Amino acid sequence: MTGAVPASAVQGGIDADQASVRGTGWLRRHRAIVACAAVVAAALVLVLWAQLSPKGDAVPLSVHNAGPDGARAVAQILGSHGVAVNDAGNYGEAMAALEAGSSPTLLLYDRNGFLDGPRLRNLAGSAKRVVVVSPRLQTLDALDAGIRQAGVVPDAYPVLEPGCSLPDPQAAGTVSGESGFLYDGGTSCYRPDGSGAGLVAVSSDGQLTVVGSTAIFSNGQLDSLGHAALAIRTLGPSPDLVWYIPTLEDLDTGGSPASLDELAPDWVRFLGPWLALVALAAIAWRGRRLGPLVFEPLPVVVKAAETAEGRARLYQDSRAVDQARDNLRAGTLVRLSVHLRTGPGATAGQVIEAAAEFLGRPARELRELINERPGTEARLVAWSRELDTLEKEVKSR
Amino acid sequence: MAISGRFVLLVLLGVVPVLLLPGWGTVLLVSGVLAALAAVDLLASAPLRTVSLLRTQPGNVTLHAAVDAVLTVRNDGGRRLRGVLRDAWQPSAGAQNAVQDIDVPAGESRRVTVRLRPVRRGDLRAPHATLRSFGPLLLAARQRTVQCPGSLRVLPPFHSRRHLPSKLRKLRELDGKAAVQIRGAGTEFDSLRDYVRGDDVRSIDWRATARRSAVVVRTWRPERDRRVVMVLDTSRTSAARIDDETRLDTGMEAALLLGVLAERGGDRVDFLAFDRRTRARAGSAGQGNLLGQLVQAMAPLEAELIEMDWPAVPAQVRAVSAHRSLVVLLTSLDGGAPEEGLLPVAAQLARQHVVVVAAVRDPQLGTMLGERDDATGVFRAAAAERALLQRAAISAELRQHGVSVVDAEPHQLPPRLADMYIRLKAAGTL
Repeated sequence: MTGAVPASAVQGGIDADQASVRGTGWLRRHRAIVACAAVVAAALVLVLWAQLSPKGDAVPLSVHNAGPDGARAVAQILGSHGVAVNDAGNYGEAMAALEAGSSPTLLLYDRNGFLDGPRLRNLAGSAKRVVVVSPRLQTLDALDAGIRQAGVVPDAYPVLEPGCSLPDPQAAGTVSGESGFLYDGGTSCYRPDGSGAGLVAVSSDGQLTVVGSTAIFSNGQLDSLGHAALAIRTLGPSPDLVWYIPTLEDLDTGGSPASLDELAPDWVRFLGPWLALVALAAIAWRGRRLGPLVFEPLPVVVKAAETAEGRARLYQDSRAVDQARDNLRAGTLVRLSVHLRTGPGATAGQVIEAAAEFLGRPARELRELINERPGTEARLVAWSRELDTLEKEVKSR
Repeated sequence: MAISGRFVLLVLLGVVPVLLLPGWGTVLLVSGVLAALAAVDLLASAPLRTVSLLRTQPGNVTLHAAVDAVLTVRNDGGRRLRGVLRDAWQPSAGAQNAVQDIDVPAGESRRVTVRLRPVRRGDLRAPHATLRSFGPLLLAARQRTVQCPGSLRVLPPFHSRRHLPSKLRKLRELDGKAAVQIRGAGTEFDSLRDYVRGDDVRSIDWRATARRSAVVVRTWRPERDRRVVMVLDTSRTSAARIDDETRLDTGMEAALLLGVLAERGGDRVDFLAFDRRTRARAGSAGQGNLLGQLVQAMAPLEAELIEMDWPAVPAQVRAVSAHRSLVVLLTSLDGGAPEEGLLPVAAQLARQHVVVVAAVRDPQLGTMLGERDDATGVFRAAAAERALLQRAAISAELRQHGVSVVDAEPHQLPPRLADMYIRLKAAGTL
């Protein structure tokens, strides 16, 4: 009994070793699945992280946008100088803020022309001063302050001089003319040479200021040239500033065309329900069974080779190379013994010698082959093939 | 209550008025008209309470053969019965036209023939039949299921019948009826007759020749009126499927061939199906011909999922035949059970009787034996080798106890068992 304890301990050690080998083996066998799972998990984490992280504002000239084309910097500077910057999300909020403020200034940046004429006029009417950034033709027409579009700043003028008598441009000095628009009418400043239109235009009554470049207010270029001075002087004269960037919400949808539902003829409403009724009838027709089902007693039938196959799987799972070798060797010896007629009592040695004599090969060679103990599965496969070949050789003579 | 496809089509046509005059009023009106039509049709259909069904039992049929099952529909009501009849045979009965249209005028009856092509052996049943009676418009129907149990006994196919002529010829050769005499064929002295060229000279009876001018030979005939007892194992091991049939079915084929052969050979045949109790019994002593009795006894047999009660087998054999007999055990040699069950019992029986153990060998094991391509294959080969070695060991042990063993693949087992019988008979050991 005492001798058995260390033996079982050794056995346990081997088992643990095999378990770790099997672990890596599993990984190797399923590496495609593991890689796919890892990629999916990583993507999931990324998406979740992107969803959960606070969302920045990417709208150009938005007061919440801290990017190069945002306008958070100028809004904060104005705020620190006592100007209440009121960010209006839509038309209603803008109107409410304009009416609440005292002599407010409105900054309007309507890139896509979402606002229609009446709303623009309402806004302009409520504000003391209106600063419009890069307005479209319709916007200018609606405001009707005598300022017109006049093309773009030529590439030859990256920097524009004030060149006018208005105090703000005079104080600010040069500004960048890159990708700017020119406006004509009223008092225009920052004119390229030989042009009557300028980057900044102020209507004759001074209520409307048109600025043809977003660069002047943007975070990215606020600190270059005279941008900061021009922006602050333009937006800062009054204590209230309403910052309004119209969005898709501000489109007036009042006169939109009729929906598909309204266009369809009356009978379409009844077609669906009636077809559903037909479907119900069809279900009742096909679904009604012609009498109850009949019970079929099924006998138990098992594949006879199932036990042998189960044993084969057991051998493989436990890597019973020795057991498999013993079985194959015994089977081969029995068949050789029957074929060579050595009699039922013949020992393995006698059968091997009879086979060697029969084949005319040295007995030692055959004995080594038949008595070999393959250590690995690969060797077992090769050995069993050699055994098979030997058997066929004997039987073919 | 059931509706017809025609009614569904009518509902579909109802879409036309609904679309022409759209409105909930139209929808309600059309639905109402449709419902009223269906109700009227239902009320006008023949009532099913007054319809009776009479079944003619189809009797026996061999497996895979066809038979007609007849149902008579009698309409005692006052209206003509138009509708559908379903004869509810269980699926393995293979009813070709289970659902048929019927048209029975009032006060008359009609016969409905259902063609059955059974795919399983045993007693197949039809517990009920269902009638559906449509109204004159064929829109709606009444439905009723009538209990009228039917039963069909499907007999084992006896495919091994094709071996019978050759085996009978072999048997007749023993019987001295063939031209060529084989000395030693059989053990009982039959008669003396004149020598013919080709006779074995060793069979010349010199004493008789001396009394006559011609050379006289002795003839023998095989022993007759011996007992053959076949014990078919219906325990759990017989549920195993080999090739396309279970061990039980192969055992039946072998028993049928041996039974018919032994009866022609002049022996008394007894058949016994046994696991823990007797499942079936048949024999020459009964009424009618032996083959009919055997197939009738075998038809309802199924493999039972219990262990064979081997120690009870000798008593069963003794109950059938008190004399020395040929005892054929149709069983299996697989697994660990034979050492404990079959071996001692076969040895015990062999002391009084001639015992033959007939078992089916699985050809799949031979296929597995040749798999040497990869580790999986070699392990399978090793497992198959072990199973075959075990069988060989058990066979060897049985032979040591004087028991003959027939170990063959399914289609080979019946002829090999018949050969074994002929060999034993020729040797005169019965």
